[in-house]
Amino acid sequence: MTTPDLAVRVEGLCKSFDGTRQVLQDVHLNVPRGKIVSIIGQSGGGKTTLMRCVNLLERPDRGVIEIDGEPIFAGDRVVCKSLPKLRQRVGMVFQRFNLFPHLAAVENVMLAQIHGAHIGETEAIERAVQLLRRVGLAHRATAYPEEMSGGEQQRVAIARALALKPTVLLFDEPTSSLDPESTGEVLRVMRELADDGMTMILVTHELPFAQEVSDWVVFIDGGRIVEEGPPADLFQRPREERTRAYVGNYAAHFDGGLEEAERVMGLK
Amino acid sequence: MTAALFNVEWSDYAPALRDGLIKTLEFTAAGFVGAVLLGLLLALMRLSPLRALRWPAAIYTELFKNVPLLAIIFLTYFGLVSVSVRLSVFQAGTLSLVIFYASYLSEIFRSAIAGVHGGQREAAEALGLGRRVTFAHVVFPQALRQALPGTNTMLVDLLKSTSLLVTISAAELMSQGQLIASETFRALEVYAVIAVLYFVVCYPLSQGLLWFERQVRGGVPLLPRRRRRMRGVRAMLEQEAIA
Repeated sequence: MTTPDLAVRVEGLCKSFDGTRQVLQDVHLNVPRGKIVSIIGQSGGGKTTLMRCVNLLERPDRGVIEIDGEPIFAGDRVVCKSLPKLRQRVGMVFQRFNLFPHLAAVENVMLAQIHGAHIGETEAIERAVQLLRRVGLAHRATAYPEEMSGGEQQRVAIARALALKPTVLLFDEPTSSLDPESTGEVLRVMRELADDGMTMILVTHELPFAQEVSDWVVFIDGGRIVEEGPPADLFQRPREERTRAYVGNYAAHFDGGLEEAERVMGLK
Repeated sequence: MTAALFNVEWSDYAPALRDGLIKTLEFTAAGFVGAVLLGLLLALMRLSPLRALRWPAAIYTELFKNVPLLAIIFLTYFGLVSVSVRLSVFQAGTLSLVIFYASYLSEIFRSAIAGVHGGQREAAEALGLGRRVTFAHVVFPQALRQALPGTNTMLVDLLKSTSLLVTISAAELMSQGQLIASETFRALEVYAVIAVLYFVVCYPLSQGLLWFERQVRGGVPLLPRRRRRMRGVRAMLEQEAIA
């Protein structure tokens, strides 16, 4: 039973740490091609764990995961033939960038092309420079991570994640360790990717951004999906009490609610 | 006084000193290369998930870190003879240096490898890189930068410690000095010259290594292939800027 128009399909996913603490309970998630799904919720609610299961950085206890209609996890075991091949199809951007500090920006984008996908040197360079241009950093190609701002590092990390032409991109709180200006830079790049039709799963605390770019928003709490729906519904007309509390609390940080939050973050 | 200090006909002894110096450098090179290889192996064993690999490596390290080098030299050269293992002076001397310095280097390498941030391995994993590629291109280069200062100190220390091989008449610099002193009865002058020679070798070596550390930390690409690559990237960007 596969659904080819879904980039990612997760069904009945369960995961516990140390065999006791249940972090995901019977979670379902469908990400159609070209769509953007945001996962929001309190820290420790399981949203990052859910996303890390998609490229099997975390191993679920039970459930089904399919990428592009191909099962990679079923029942209680990994069923994909090659983990490296899977991860070439699922790009990931981390909260703390995790760029390779001993390599220049362009080499960060080249490494997996050369040693993972065995693409030739010249082609890898061209592709890397092209991707750096896409995130507005071609002029910083030979700079090292420590010479770059957080926003620049995260944009290089996005270029690196795109290097193997993944089916889907995972963003794990990509702006949580950035100042507002850098946050704006990174969100701009992500919005461009969204406009280009990139499939993305986004774990974020940036609710205004999630509302703006997402096609679907999932609110997760205590390891369960509490509520999901189109962003307009979930943010403006949340059905569940817990969703209302979370979304409301966030907006209350800003005097003018979501509108003000968007303005502060340079989104409007 | 000055005349009394410089009475040895050094021109007669220059070839002996040269041979001694070469021998010292040979011991240093062979001992260091061996100690680095064994130290790296021990470090990887200690980081292994398998207890059967971790324990022997830990015992080895603790054992030889806490035994004097001189004792190891005597054991390998004089001791092994009684179990009918007869090593040449060069073999015994090199082996002693390898055994002793591998234990220190393994500690330096282990903490350097363990010190590479977990997020680095995770990023490599998420890019679909295998364990071998991840070690070779992500973990090792970063660990190398971490390990360089301690390793360099050990290299200079090892060079100086080759002088202990005088006890098995290894024909290195200190042994030559002892011979010259016994022929000339000019201990002060001879050993002063020997000390200066050690300094003349060790000081530029340690300064050179410090310079090397700074280069590496500054991000200078060490491999010619990386230098070519960066030149290629720059050329490509310049060309585009013109067009």
